[in-house]
Amino acid sequence: MNKKIQLKRMIFCIESLVDLGQEVSSAKVLAEKMKAALYVVTGIFSVPTAALFIYHSQRKRLDLFVDKGHRDKIKHDMQLFVPPTSIRRFGMNEPHTMSNLSKTKFYRRNNNVFLKLQAKIFIPLFAKNEFVGAIALGQKLGGLPYPRAERDVLRVIAHQMAITLHNAQLFLELAKKASENKKLFTSMQRIYHDTIQAFAAAIDAKDDYTKDHSYRVASYAVAIARELGWKKNDVEGLYVAGLLHDIGKIIIDRDIINKGENLTTPEIREIKRHPQISYNILSKVKFPWKNVEHFVRHHHERLDGKGYPDALTSTQLTDGVKILSLADAFDAMTTDRPYRGKMALSEAFREVMRCKGTQFDTKISTTFFNILRKELNGDVKEQQILPHLHNVDVTGFRALYLISAYEESAADRLPNNKQFILQS
Amino acid sequence: MLPKGYINDMGAISLEQTSEQLLGKGVKNLIVNFADVQFINTIGLSIFTGIVQKTQEHKSLLCFTNLKKIHLDVFEMVGLIKHVKVFKDEEDALTFLKGRG
Repeated sequence: MNKKIQLKRMIFCIESLVDLGQEVSSAKVLAEKMKAALYVVTGIFSVPTAALFIYHSQRKRLDLFVDKGHRDKIKHDMQLFVPPTSIRRFGMNEPHTMSNLSKTKFYRRNNNVFLKLQAKIFIPLFAKNEFVGAIALGQKLGGLPYPRAERDVLRVIAHQMAITLHNAQLFLELAKKASENKKLFTSMQRIYHDTIQAFAAAIDAKDDYTKDHSYRVASYAVAIARELGWKKNDVEGLYVAGLLHDIGKIIIDRDIINKGENLTTPEIREIKRHPQISYNILSKVKFPWKNVEHFVRHHHERLDGKGYPDALTSTQLTDGVKILSLADAFDAMTTDRPYRGKMALSEAFREVMRCKGTQFDTKISTTFFNILRKELNGDVKEQQILPHLHNVDVTGFRALYLISAYEESAADRLPNNKQFILQS
Repeated sequence: MLPKGYINDMGAISLEQTSEQLLGKGVKNLIVNFADVQFINTIGLSIFTGIVQKTQEHKSLLCFTNLKKIHLDVFEMVGLIKHVKVFKDEEDALTFLKGRG
C-alpha cells in the first residue's frame, strides 16, 4: 500500500472513531449499542464476522454477548474459559493475532471456539484495570492481514468499547443493589409494622371491651387524613399513632381499666395518666414519621380546653390530634362498654354533632361523616370505615345526615337524649 | 436491490438479510443500485462487507451500479471494491450478466 493510500486509510480510521463515539454514547440498550459498535469496527476493517464477549468474574469465563456474521447454530452456548493467570498476560486492550495467542493456556483451552469463530484477532477489553470482556475479529475480506497501524487503531476502539461495557456493568450493579436495598427496606418496614400491630394487640388485650380498638381508631384516622389530602407518609404516621395511642394503658391496673363505671377519683386520675405515659414511652422511639408521640399525648384534649393532660385549646391542637380524638371517641361510642351498649350510627352522629366546636373539630367531624355517607351510598371504591361497624345499626343515619347538611345547626336542635361520657 | 438515503445505522441491516434470502433462493447475480444512496458510514460498510461475504459463500456475483465518486472511493479504500463488479448503471450490469449467460 503506498503512503498516500495509507494516509487516506488512517484518516478514514480516525473519522470512523466518530461513528463509534456516537454509537457507544447513544441511548440504546447495551446490546444494541455494542452490536452497532461491533458493526463500526467490522466496517472499518472490512471484516465479515466478529463477536463481543462479556467477562463474568465469578464464572471465570467470557460469554458471547453480540456478534456479526456467524450462523445461529455455532453461537449456542459460546463461551471462552479464562484461566485466572491468563488475564494478567493479556495486555490492556492489546490486539493479539491468533499465532501470538496460540502458545497460551487460554488459547489451548478455547481452541475449538476460536476455530468456530474463524477468529484472526483477539482483543481483551480492559477499563480501569478491570477485565470486562473481549472482541474476536474474523478474517478480513480477501484474507488480508491486520497491519501494526490498524492494530493500534483497534486498541483505541477497544478502549472505548471497554469503558462503555464497564459503565454499563457498574450501572447494572447499582441497579441490582438499589433493588436489593428496596427489598430489605420493604422487609424491615413490614417487620416494623408487624411489631407495632403486635403492640396494639397487646394494648387492646388489656381491656376486655376494647378488642381491636386501636386498629379501628387507626383505620378511621387514616380515612379522614386521606380524605383531607394528607401526604402518604403523614397518613402512615397518623396510622401508627392510632395503633399506639393507648400504649400507656399497659402500665395501668387492669382492674381499673375494666371497671368501666363508678370509678373513684383516684382511679379516674390514674386512667387519665395514660396519654402522658404513652407519650413518655413513644418519645423514646425515633419514628420515621413526624409527631406520632404528640398525636398520642393529646388524643384526649378538647377544643374548649377541658381535655387532658395539658388542657390545650382549639388553636393549640393540630389536625392530627383532632382526627385521632374524633376517631377514638367515635369507636368508643360504637362499641359495647361495661356501663352501656353500643350506639347506633345515627346516635353517634348526633353525639358528635352535639359536641362539635367544644370537643370535636367541625371540619374533621364533617369530613368523617361525609366519608361514611359516601360509603353507605356506595360512592367509593374501597370502604374504610363501614367494615369496622359490623353489628352497629346504620339505619337512619343517611336521613339524619341529609337534614344536617341542609341545616348546619341541625344537631344542636335534635333531641339530646343521651349524655355521652368519654371514657375510651 | 435499491437502497435509499442514509445507510448509517442498524436499520440498514435488512439489506444484508434481503441479500441472504435472495442468495438462499438460488439467485446467482445480485445488483445493488446506489442511485438513491446519499450517505454510507462504517455501519453501512459493515453491512456491505457482510453481503460480499455471503455472495462469495454462495459462489454468486455481486454488482454495484450508479455509485457516486465519494462512495466508490470509500469502497476502494476499505478494499471492498475488489470483491464486486462495478458498473455505470443497471443497464450496463444487465448487459454484462446476459453476456455471461
